[in-house]
Formats: sequence, structure tokens, C-alpha cells
Amino acid sequence: MIVVLLIVHGLLAVALLGAITHQAWSVAPRRAGAGSLSFADRFRSVDSTAYATAVVVLFVVTAIGGALLYPQYRLDVRTTLEDLQLRAANGVFEIKEHLVAIGLGLLPTYWLLWKAPEQVAARRYLTWLLAFIVWWSFLVGHVLNNIKGLLP
Amino acid sequence: MTPSHRRPSVEIFSMLFGIVYLTCFYMDWAPFRYYPDPRRFHLRITPQDGPAILWYGWVAAAAVVSAAIAVAVPRRLAERLSPGWVWAVPLVIVILLLLYERRWFV
Repeated sequence: MIVVLLIVHGLLAVALLGAITHQAWSVAPRRAGAGSLSFADRFRSVDSTAYATAVVVLFVVTAIGGALLYPQYRLDVRTTLEDLQLRAANGVFEIKEHLVAIGLGLLPTYWLLWKAPEQVAARRYLTWLLAFIVWWSFLVGHVLNNIKGLLP
Repeated sequence: MTPSHRRPSVEIFSMLFGIVYLTCFYMDWAPFRYYPDPRRFHLRITPQDGPAILWYGWVAAAAVVSAAIAVAVPRRLAERLSPGWVWAVPLVIVILLLLYERRWFV
């Protein structure tokens, strides 16, 4: 059961990562030019307002999945990391749990800002902050999940 | 933001959430703890039940306290808040958190 939950958690995180990355890139200042569209231009040429609700739902559902997995992590993984004296691995996970909590608190304002087109700057910086949180959480989650295979 | 779009109480909630969360974490205080080994919640520290998870308690405390303050702040006062604070305060919280957590890497 825990393995199924871990896989679902990972898949939801992939969807969240894609949505927030598209959106974060789309709000970056655009370079003026009339040339042909590059891959980066096409990547950012999305209807970024359409992602807001999906990001909120995916963030909350992924965080709930992580919260359900957390007891198993606390009992098995963290104690193993402590036994192996991998302080940095424990540290990056601790930062992840704090960032996710802060991200949960930001979601209501993030969602409202995407419904109010006037607030361009606040919306951009809040989106980038959430994108940082999602990227950190995604990378740390995957590295720790595979840490046994990564160690020499 | 136009008055019709702006929800100052929501912005206050988001700003306070990180502050309350970080304070609870720094003070090592949670309204409750979860002990995964016996699968029990406790209001008090019970070391005999093994390692505890405080994260659920920190999130719950941040949500309840922030929501209570956000509702209590008068709208006229809340509307004076510049929209820039909405992202600047959480950014400072994240930077403080990263600085504090350097302890894991030394």
C-alpha cells in the first residue's frame, strides 16, 4: 500500500512540476524580437491563468500524500539516514517539509492573484517562490527515494 | 488590485502562515504530536512512544492562528497593506529558514 501511495505521490508531483514550471516561465519578462519561436518561447506561450487552479489542487493533494507517507519515512528512512550519519540528506528533507508548509499557506493568495490580472509583479514573484518550493521538494523527494542506489 | 478583486484578509493569512509556522518550529512547540510507532496523537510529550512528528501540529497551528488574526484585522486597516508584502514576507521567511537550516550541512 505504501509503495502505491509513494508512486501516486511521485506522479502527482510530476504533474505539479510541469504546471508550475510552465506558469513560472510564462510570467518571466519577455525579450522583444520578431524572430521565429524557439523551444523556450513555445514552452512559455501557454495560457498561464488556466494553470492556477490545477496548481492549487495538485499542490494540496500532493502535500496530503506526502503527509500520509511521512510516518513511514520518520520510522524507516530517517532513522537509517541517522545511522549512516547522512546529516545533509536529513537536512534537505527537513527544509522540504518546511517549504511545503509555507507553500500551503501561500496558495489562497496565489490563487486570488491569478484571478486579479492587475497584480502582475506580486503574481510573478509569488509564482516563482512556489516554483522554487515545488522544484526543491521534487528533487529532494526523488534523491532520498533513490539514495541507497546513489550511495557508493 | 481593485477593491472588488482584493482580499486583504487572505493576504494577511498567507503572510502570517509562514511566520507562525516558523515560530512554532523554532520554539519546538506544537499543539499536538503524532507518534508513528504506536500510531497515536498526543497533546503532551511521551518519549516512551518513540519518535514524534511535530509537522502536523505546526501546520495546524499556523493555519488556525493565521486565520484567526486575518479575520480579526479590520478590513480598513488590512487594505493599507501594500501588495508587495504578499511575496516579500514569505521570501524573507524562506531565506531565514534556509539560513537556520545550514546547521545540517556543517
